[in-house]
Amino acid sequence: MSVSNLLQNWSAVRHTHPVGDAPHAEYKWAMAIDLDACTGCNACSVACYAENNLPAVGKDKFEHGQQMHWMRIERYWDEDGRDMPDQGAQFLPMMCQHCEAAPCETVCPVGATNHTADGLNSQVYNRCVGSRYCSANCPFKVRYFNWYSYPDQEISWPSPMEQQLNPDVTVRTKGVMEKCTFCVQRLTVAKHNARNEGRLVQDGEVQTACQQACPTSAISFGNLVDPASKVAKQWKAQQVELAVDKQAKDEGDDSHEVGEHHSTTKLRGYRIFEELRAYPSVMYLERVRESAV
Amino acid sequence: MRHFLRLSILLIGLFSGSSSFAADTLPPVNTADDLGPQVDQPIEFPHNRHAKDMGINCMYCHTYARRAPVAGIPPLQKCMGCHNGIESVKDKPRIKELFKHWDEKKPIAWKKVHDLPDYVRFNHERHVKRFIVQQDKPVQEVCGYCHGDVKEGTVARRQKPLSMGWCVSCHEKAHPTDKTAQATAQGPNDCWQCHK
Repeated sequence: MSVSNLLQNWSAVRHTHPVGDAPHAEYKWAMAIDLDACTGCNACSVACYAENNLPAVGKDKFEHGQQMHWMRIERYWDEDGRDMPDQGAQFLPMMCQHCEAAPCETVCPVGATNHTADGLNSQVYNRCVGSRYCSANCPFKVRYFNWYSYPDQEISWPSPMEQQLNPDVTVRTKGVMEKCTFCVQRLTVAKHNARNEGRLVQDGEVQTACQQACPTSAISFGNLVDPASKVAKQWKAQQVELAVDKQAKDEGDDSHEVGEHHSTTKLRGYRIFEELRAYPSVMYLERVRESAV
Repeated sequence: MRHFLRLSILLIGLFSGSSSFAADTLPPVNTADDLGPQVDQPIEFPHNRHAKDMGINCMYCHTYARRAPVAGIPPLQKCMGCHNGIESVKDKPRIKELFKHWDEKKPIAWKKVHDLPDYVRFNHERHVKRFIVQQDKPVQEVCGYCHGDVKEGTVARRQKPLSMGWCVSCHEKAHPTDKTAQATAQGPNDCWQCHK
């Protein structure tokens, strides 16, 4: 995408999905995370570090808010008058939500973050100038800035650890913003293989690193355009729609609450900060509470 | 006297500053005639002898181009596969060097000529499929889109800028989808297709 093309076709490039004029043709990558299955073990986060060449910054920098974990586990406490408050711990894996109308994209002064045709929120490191506007405008705070040059200045991978860096992912340098990519390097390979065989990527053919590492299979990832994919089925079962900013919840609906044990049939799907109308691509499945069972 | 000292210190500072800057500056990516820098290879490989005089398909040696992202530099075995049986050139200095490597069981340390930045992903297979398989164009012409007229040169040298604007200039063109079809298609115009 040349700069002249970008400037001339600004409105086309800047279109906010999901709208009728730019539907997703072949792929719309999306995720569903079942918080009831999530145990907060952090395996997804570790897998992300390994897959995406994330630097481990150390305790001091972490305390300064300079951590680089694209995937983090947020902890929430719901003591709820329990005898053992630990039982009230809740975990929420948080990564770039790949919003369809991403607030970060509109504020980038150099167009370093764009929407791809597959519905991903792309970050182009070599175009980024480090203004950090995108991070300021991100409601989820999932963008991470390289305050140091981790490959050479702050040696994050002492020899021979640099040998384990993933060659399919850039090793970022100082002064650029980075974030979860939905493992775009894996998506590219899957799309490439599918194209050689003259077909589309099938469900389950491509996994993100976090999904692959999750011991409880809490994370599912796939193509939302394909109605047969697991993700599309999950979204449909929860009546979560991409272009809707308030999902149907059956809170006022008593039909499911006839028996005490029917809580699993309740709609649990939601997206974070839906009211901001960023239209995220990640659906979370609410935890089934102890009290609700 | 103090003024003089100040001025001379300033001048020395300026001089040392500029000279150290010049020393740190990398050589230019492109020369004036848009050629890449001259690369001294361990053996001066004559592309013209192989590709032009012998008419060998590019993908006989650069095998992976049709099935992988990288085209690949042929291993020594590939060279020996032919040259073992070619008696007429066995006493030539370059071939002697080749046999020396073979006898010592030492691979030839070819240097990279077409080196893209780490943040770019390029896929040979996609381009080979698009132009050679679908459009049925001659191999040397298709490889030449990016590598120039290799059969006219000896040691490979970068002949095209391989910059983003240059890539995009072709991706923006409407290329026929196959040999006979009227339909055309453009190359992808999406940051993450090429950037990683």
